Amino acid sequence: MGAVAEPAIKVEDLWWKYEGRKDWALKGVNLTIERGEFVGIVGPNESGKTTLVMAMNGLIPNNYRGVMKGRVVSVGMDTREHTTAEIARRVGFVFSDPESQFLTMTVEEELAFGLENMGLPVEEIRDRIRWAMEITRLDEEFLEKPPYELSGGQKQRVAIAAVLAMKPDVIILDEPTSMLDPIGKSEVFDVLVQLRRSYNATIIVVEHRLEDIAYLADKMILLYYGEVLRVAPPREFFDNIPFLLKHYVYPPEIMIAVHRLREEGLYDGPIPLRFEEGVKIIEEVLRA
Amino acid sequence: MTHAIEVRNLTFVYPDGTLALKGVDLVIDEGEFAAFIGQNGSGKTTLSKNIAGLLKPTEGEVLLFGRSTKEMRIRELATSVGYVFQNPDHQIFNMTVYDEIAFGPRNLLLSEDEVRERVEEAARIVGLKEEYMEESPFFLPKGLRQRVAIASILALRPKVIIVDEPTTGQDWKQSIEIMDFLKHLNGLGHTIIIVTHEMEIVARYAERTVVMAEGRKLLDGPTNKVFAEAETLRKAFVKPPQPTRAAHALSHYGLRPDVLSVDELVTEIIRLKASGAGDNYLAQRSLGGR
Repeated sequence: MGAVAEPAIKVEDLWWKYEGRKDWALKGVNLTIERGEFVGIVGPNESGKTTLVMAMNGLIPNNYRGVMKGRVVSVGMDTREHTTAEIARRVGFVFSDPESQFLTMTVEEELAFGLENMGLPVEEIRDRIRWAMEITRLDEEFLEKPPYELSGGQKQRVAIAAVLAMKPDVIILDEPTSMLDPIGKSEVFDVLVQLRRSYNATIIVVEHRLEDIAYLADKMILLYYGEVLRVAPPREFFDNIPFLLKHYVYPPEIMIAVHRLREEGLYDGPIPLRFEEGVKIIEEVLRA
Repeated sequence: MTHAIEVRNLTFVYPDGTLALKGVDLVIDEGEFAAFIGQNGSGKTTLSKNIAGLLKPTEGEVLLFGRSTKEMRIRELATSVGYVFQNPDHQIFNMTVYDEIAFGPRNLLLSEDEVRERVEEAARIVGLKEEYMEESPFFLPKGLRQRVAIASILALRPKVIIVDEPTTGQDWKQSIEIMDFLKHLNGLGHTIIIVTHEMEIVARYAERTVVMAEGRKLLDGPTNKVFAEAETLRKAFVKPPQPTRAAHALSHYGLRPDVLSVDELVTEIIRLKASGAGDNYLAQRSLGGR
């Protein structure tokens, strides 16, 4: 085993242009994501967030037509030199629309599908499914159900469990909650919290809603029309509220409120990452 | 006076037997901007589809400008109320943007000249450029597809426009654009109803909010009054926007619990600081504790 830990993902001067398009979707992106990091990627729509994460698991350039410059190394594999199937075993991908990912008629088959393709023994498959269901809090009773009969949040948890069961080094979730109602959203965020606690993988989440990602992430990335504008731990990332607003990223309103109190000279501490923390700050301001 | 919408004792049962609405009464006047909120399965979408005439009451009735949806022909319905689906792709089916927007007016049996006029007007209002007219709507980005969907409803010039989840899957910039645009239509005299889970959007745009729970109307009133009902909302699993929740949590300091926006919250805090209300609270507490 090498003593020097290589990063989970290394993106070097990456340019990508889809075939038939005038503009580059990605314009010279440089990024390093370390092993075990929990990373949030934000930015307005059409900024290239999905393109960037697809480049991390090899879907780009292997399954899309276009022009690529620069390089991406995912868990030691140059994505141009490996097939998407090879990369997918180590870098799992969860789509925003879980249905686009389902292939089979029951949840059990769905969870077993990737594992059977890996040629794992039956015992091992059973253990891994049980483990993935535990983290995603899926009951046994779900196993016999067709995935399309489940609620949005349950479907997304099945999609995450199917990827998780492969025990990938990296799990990418591309807007995993954007199609879900508030209850589904919180189900999926609960799973992310569980993942962070009980599985030492690198987790990369593209997400619009920042309320929950703010306190989960080790590192936040702002992608803005093909360029990385900012990479910072959440505390620093959210410290400059006007910068985020200017780039169409809308921070949780409690952060904006505390930022305004800072501007008014009523407070001079850090921006809160959680709602409760923000309420405490306002309370202190009121008592001071 | 005739109301734009009058829902009388509306009960709705789906063909599979699901009882989705249980005796709902609701009056909305012309020119209102209202939001229907509530958990999935609360009945908010069923209610809005009954108002749009897409579903017909099992019991009770829905009157649009005084006429029951049960008596209205499709043409009359289509010019009274338009319904924009959550997923524009559920609505879009023509090969070009122009044909998509022209579909409704053509069904009103208007002349091609009138159709063209309606299409151009609708495209202009939603900000669709001329160059998109001959493109396939399916290949446009989601934000533009949604505009096509709205334009195709506008071309019918309905007095009431209902939009299901206008901001789902949109980023903040697009959400603000879509909502500002609905506000603009409201200013032109259209009655607007949005069905949504996004409480910041409700707080920012809707003057009136109807909270649905288990097929019944749980709350109905000015948005700030509705969001101030923290206990009732909790039962409906509705979480008010953060400024409202913060004000509620600190209302014992004298913060008004019906603030909706960051602006209002900050103004309240400054007002309290200036009046020394925080000090008063502390003084009272220490007195009480003695």
